[in-house]
Amino acid sequence: MAAVLPGPVPAAAGIGLRFPHHRAVLDERPAVGWMEVHPENYFGGGAAVAALEAVRRDWPVTLHGVGLSLGSAEGLDARHLARLAALAARIEPGLISEHVAWSVAGGNYLTDLLPLPMTEEALDVVCRNVETMQSALGRQVLVENPSSYLQFAHATIPEWEFMAAVAARTGCRVLCDVNNIAVSAHNHGFDADAYLRALPVGVVGEIHVAGHAVRPLGDGRTLRLDDHGSAVSAEVWGLLMTALARFGPVPVLVEWDTRIPPLGVLAAEAARAQVLIEEAGHARAA
Amino acid sequence: MLALRDLQGDFAEALRGGRASPRLAALITPDLARLDVYRNTARTVAIEALRIGFPATEAIVGEEFFALAAAKFWRVHPPREAWLGAWGDELGNFLGRMHAARAVAYLADVARFERALSRAANAADIPALDAASLASVPPEQHPRLRFTPHPSVTLLRLRYPADAIADAVRAGDDAAMAAIDLGSGPVHLLVHRAGGEVVAERIGASAWRFLRVLFAGTPLGEVLAGAPARLDAASMLAAQFARGRLAAAAVKERAPCDA
Repeated sequence: MAAVLPGPVPAAAGIGLRFPHHRAVLDERPAVGWMEVHPENYFGGGAAVAALEAVRRDWPVTLHGVGLSLGSAEGLDARHLARLAALAARIEPGLISEHVAWSVAGGNYLTDLLPLPMTEEALDVVCRNVETMQSALGRQVLVENPSSYLQFAHATIPEWEFMAAVAARTGCRVLCDVNNIAVSAHNHGFDADAYLRALPVGVVGEIHVAGHAVRPLGDGRTLRLDDHGSAVSAEVWGLLMTALARFGPVPVLVEWDTRIPPLGVLAAEAARAQVLIEEAGHARAA
Repeated sequence: MLALRDLQGDFAEALRGGRASPRLAALITPDLARLDVYRNTARTVAIEALRIGFPATEAIVGEEFFALAAAKFWRVHPPREAWLGAWGDELGNFLGRMHAARAVAYLADVARFERALSRAANAADIPALDAASLASVPPEQHPRLRFTPHPSVTLLRLRYPADAIADAVRAGDDAAMAAIDLGSGPVHLLVHRAGGEVVAERIGASAWRFLRVLFAGTPLGEVLAGAPARLDAASMLAAQFARGRLAAAAVKERAPCDA
């Protein structure tokens, strides 16, 4: 890497960088504060990593993992951690994050973020794995609240308490995905605003927004699907404002992962998020 | 109480097409149908990862058949890690055994060829071995040198000219496809990444055998002794350095008990 790289991730709006935009980002140079990537897409070498290094020369970058499987009872894959650490050494990301979910069982990767039962056992597992992750990387990480479509009858801990407990016990921070809260609140019938009020101020170091799909269940009800394939909804923009008012100005990410539109659409959503971040900053200063 | 490890094992089994165990089903609320959402997403992501890695293979059999074969492959050979770029080594053999794919005899070879291309494209950025770095090895030890190929290197011996087929299919060039002689005999290929570009070269059968022995980590003395007289082994070896196809070399003694 170059000797001097852009500094830490600012309290500004960033976008998720996906392969279809590698070329466009370097050609169009969108006016966004930072870029996020999924490290698993850069675990090898070659053209993909070269493109990421080119982006890194001009923007702060975050590594947002989707496959480490912090919720796996069998512990973390040492090869995965080693690859993540090697990529972090090469890219020097401003932030590293992962999900409160699981995707590995019996040594097989299950290609989705799967739901955890919110139990004391699962809390112990997640905390142990977060500690392993932070120790392997030699730094504090952020963990993201999940979106989910089902729950487990033996769960004993409300999700917001689970998130706060992981942060309190491991010293990690929370990545508050307000779209995930909108999805899960609808699917499980809890209050999204109450969720935000239950997260301790000071532990939230980043916020995500994205679009979700709505699918009819056939009985007059609907299920929200966290597919990152449409524009951020008015409700989610509202939750972002509530979150920024509570947690203060922090980095905000706009994420698209399916039906990925032209780069300009992401940049426009990031510009809208940027205005809300700045308004929250002014409100605090006033 | 179902332990988390057991819950995850049962969930994984149900996700990949099995039935949810009664002990898992009893815990899922509001109803078991919600598990289908995860099953569909997991399968879609897996199929999409294979589509990206095997575009010519997909074009030959069509989107629908490929998705079906990919979903079966996903159940039998699931990815062993979240780095999906490392997944798919067994797809060629899998398609070769798949009864429904028998009509396209060369399909498995095209998949093997495309997998080699992906491996080359995704291989770690490990610096190539510099011949000058061996200057410190005394000449009398040279016969005991064992080489490690660069991780981007794959040697293939395929019954069908899968390189030409893949090129024609991806280009949508029917005339080129029609001109390919499927009975022309096996092709010997060396695939690797050089200067950022993935290169697939046809090489001769004796050169292929020489490189296979060399890349297997056979001591150099044995490699040279086994090379056919008509092969310029010294030039072959020099070319591997020049093209950046070697990653490491070491003089390794056999353990005394192996002697």
